[in-house]
Amino acid sequence: MKNLMIIFIALYTSQSYALMVKAEQMYIEGKKKKDKNANAYIAQELYKSKYHYSAVVFAKEHLIEGKEFTPEFENLIEELVLKTGTMSFYGLKANILKRYPSPSLRFILGLRQFNYKRYDESIAALKQVPDTHRFAPEARFMQGSALNLSNKFDEAKEQYLKCIDLAQNFEDQSENEKLKRYFAIVRESCVIHQARMLYKNRDFDGALKAYEAIPKTSYRWPYILMEKAWAAYQTGNYNRTLGLLVTYRSPLMTSYFFPEAEVLSSLSYFRLCLWNDSLKLIDQYYNVYRPHSDALKNILLRNKNSHTYFLKLLLAPIKEKEKLNPFVRNLMTQIRKKIKFSLDLVNYKKAQNELKYVKKLKRSEFTEKLDEAVTGALAWRTKHLNHYIKKQMFSFINDMHRFSYEMFNIKLEVMSLQRDLVYNNESLISDRSRGSHENIQRTSDEHFYTFNGEFWADELGEYSFGLKSNCKRIDKKQIAATK
Amino acid sequence: MRYTIAIIITAFITLSAFAQGKNKSGKNVVIKYKKYESFDLGNLEIEGKIIAPGDLSVKERSRRTFSRALFEREQFDPEVRNDIQNLR
Repeated sequence: MKNLMIIFIALYTSQSYALMVKAEQMYIEGKKKKDKNANAYIAQELYKSKYHYSAVVFAKEHLIEGKEFTPEFENLIEELVLKTGTMSFYGLKANILKRYPSPSLRFILGLRQFNYKRYDESIAALKQVPDTHRFAPEARFMQGSALNLSNKFDEAKEQYLKCIDLAQNFEDQSENEKLKRYFAIVRESCVIHQARMLYKNRDFDGALKAYEAIPKTSYRWPYILMEKAWAAYQTGNYNRTLGLLVTYRSPLMTSYFFPEAEVLSSLSYFRLCLWNDSLKLIDQYYNVYRPHSDALKNILLRNKNSHTYFLKLLLAPIKEKEKLNPFVRNLMTQIRKKIKFSLDLVNYKKAQNELKYVKKLKRSEFTEKLDEAVTGALAWRTKHLNHYIKKQMFSFINDMHRFSYEMFNIKLEVMSLQRDLVYNNESLISDRSRGSHENIQRTSDEHFYTFNGEFWADELGEYSFGLKSNCKRIDKKQIAATK
Repeated sequence: MRYTIAIIITAFITLSAFAQGKNKSGKNVVIKYKKYESFDLGNLEIEGKIIAPGDLSVKERSRRTFSRALFEREQFDPEVRNDIQNLR
């Protein structure tokens, strides 16, 4: 058996080597004969020999030179996008991406224009990706989002529904577990976007119902808890808001922390006129987040100009990361869980591996060109990943400061209301409301568990507080008269 | 010394001559003021209508309070954009 395996690997390597030799011959002959489609053939041969990142170089050259575009070449582009990521062709100019009748290139153009906030152009490009295409679920998702951001809600809904159907089909057809999970995430993202659209249109009950379609086992679930809490807050169900947000304090969710959740909790207490609880949360926010902010700022300022530091830190073994502030470690975990990041990281490792093989090839003009191109692509991917981590950290630190300002505003408002009470010789009905089941509002399909200081996995996200509103004001003079 | 005494005497005579006022007809006028004068405010009468209220009062009005614009989530558009940026 072992011998058979060795023979198989040897055969595979020799076949791959033969294809590589063929690609090199094509390169030499194409140069001699000045064949205008040589780059397309070389890209095909390199793809067959599993040199995907090297194939990208020649495919891009063919596209830039504006030569013949065959259905075979379209298939190659599609495969290369799947194997190496959208990033490989993302850098091409819009006029090049528009030039060819290629749904794969239209998909990349749509993504590019979306990121530049040119939503109309993005929609126009994505319309040309048919529903039968492999990128169709993502294309419909992106199209729906561009329409949503352009406030064309009915059209957006139509695209999101298509996305849900298509993603479900792809999920069912995929045999690969990772691919199944990927399409499940796309499908759930389309559901979440629909919920967000309802929220934007102030249909908060509708939004809450839509969010319920996301199971607790989903990767997206921890992130939507806060959105659900906002929807509950907008309906005036502050107890449910607080119950949803307390889930983030569960030991299972230590790597998820959202400064916005703290602000929302404080606001909910404020709306229930439980000012002391609100003020306590504000103080807690400053006590917890200030050291976090300092730790993060320390790392960021020292290494902000490095193109590799953050990626190296993320890829470092756990032992080295133990020296870091636990909060920074958790933030790293949160970043690592992002789909885009994990896919780009896989592609980065593949490119690293390919470069190793390219370096082992016999030196020639052709292999030198491959070496240079793959090294360049790898350097660019390193910078890109490093930048991604740095950006996430910066946006987190900005969030902390932004929400610190919002907390301060709540504090000022509480103080102002407290002063008014004193001026009017009034007091709130009680200093501290006690929880009661009577104060819980829930719909027939919502679960409810009492929170007894312990978190149980099946109860997560189902908690609701039972606090009574403390907003009724009473005249102190009247109280004194009755005594 | 002699000159100084002479100058002082001359100045004294000149000043006392100016101190005695003269009227238009050229006669000297001496002004005399009352040494003591008193007013009985209680006996003074003022004519007119009373228009001021009997006692001072301020009408109570409720204090106008302006609430701060606290943080509010109108939409999740940044998250929508982020989701697309985090795709494939």
